[in-house]
Amino acid sequence: MTGDIVLAAKFIGAGLSMIGALGAGVGIGLSVHGALGGMARNPDSYGTLLTNMILGIAFSEAIAIYCLVIAFLMLFVL
Amino acid sequence: METTRKWRFGVNRWVVLLLIVLQVVFASLYPPIRPHIQVAPEQLSDTPLFTLPVIGSFYMTNTLWGMVFVDVIVLAIVLLVAFGLRRNSLIPRGLAAAMEMAVEMLYNLAESTAGKAVKKIFPWFATIVIVVLIANFTELIPMVDSVGKLEPAEHGYTLQQFFPWLAAIVQGQGNYAVTPYVRTLSTDLNFTFALALIAVVMTQIIGVRSQGLAYFSKFFNTRTMFTTPIFGAIDFLVSLLELISEFSKILSFGFRLFGNIFAGSVLLFLVGSLVPVFAQSMILFFEFVIGLIQAFVFGMLTLVFMSQATVGHISEEHHE
Repeated sequence: MTGDIVLAAKFIGAGLSMIGALGAGVGIGLSVHGALGGMARNPDSYGTLLTNMILGIAFSEAIAIYCLVIAFLMLFVL
Repeated sequence: METTRKWRFGVNRWVVLLLIVLQVVFASLYPPIRPHIQVAPEQLSDTPLFTLPVIGSFYMTNTLWGMVFVDVIVLAIVLLVAFGLRRNSLIPRGLAAAMEMAVEMLYNLAESTAGKAVKKIFPWFATIVIVVLIANFTELIPMVDSVGKLEPAEHGYTLQQFFPWLAAIVQGQGNYAVTPYVRTLSTDLNFTFALALIAVVMTQIIGVRSQGLAYFSKFFNTRTMFTTPIFGAIDFLVSLLELISEFSKILSFGFRLFGNIFAGSVLLFLVGSLVPVFAQSMILFFEFVIGLIQAFVFGMLTLVFMSQATVGHISEEHHE
């Protein structure tokens, strides 16, 4: 019985920790929005904008990855 | 010319069809099972390789074999390129030409970001990109995460013996599990944190070598403290935040690479066990792109941090 409760808590906790991916999704969307707007207005800056956009995406994606690591730790380690 | 191309396309079509039929047949004969997922790398033997007094024992893990694999590939590329350049011609061919193109592309990128300091920064940037790229791509090689040692486990699967030297675990309750011989290097936190430590520590060293002790005024900013007391105190607190962000760089470097690649391999396991026929090919392509982007991002962030360390603090330029 206690084992089952612990297992259920693990799954619920892993699911809850992935809520943090919401913010990363919004952040990636915003940075792509800005970069695409810039590319549309100034097509010459495509290359530099693309590199910087990927860097910005990597930064905001890191937040979602932290959540994912926590979820993995709950599911497979604890 | 046109006819030969048509003929080759026709043969490829039948080969692809044959492979699909074989995939369906094997997936229905031996339905794939969900492998055991573990964050820490699996130990291949119970006896430690060596023991250090304070830190503890070191075991032969399957990610270490992955590292040997990556190193062998990198060394093979180095030797092949060196051999290709040994020939007495100015124009390299084959692999040497491809590597020259890749390195030149990376060098142009580094030069446009780092400017004059590119000579110091480029070796770190290019090494990190190449090693992480090859480490990520070992995930795509068949049999990397699936061929291994059979070990008794509590919640395992039944064992089926094909030959005296070959067996597999199949669907059904049993007590056997597979410990893969080779696992993707980037799914080991030790590797990603070692790379992150190298990147961040070398950033400090490059900063000190190009600016001297003035580099540390970025972390303990007492320059404006006595001229304008209130704003100087705020500047000092902000520079302490800079010091904390230097440590959080290590964490984010390490967890970003580990999380992306480990999530990718878990996704490959799960999709492979749920939809064995077509879906995994798309996930493989997705993982190819992810591996490329993560290698690029790791190198690119190292490059940006190092080139930020070579130029002084922004307020310094304002004052002078």
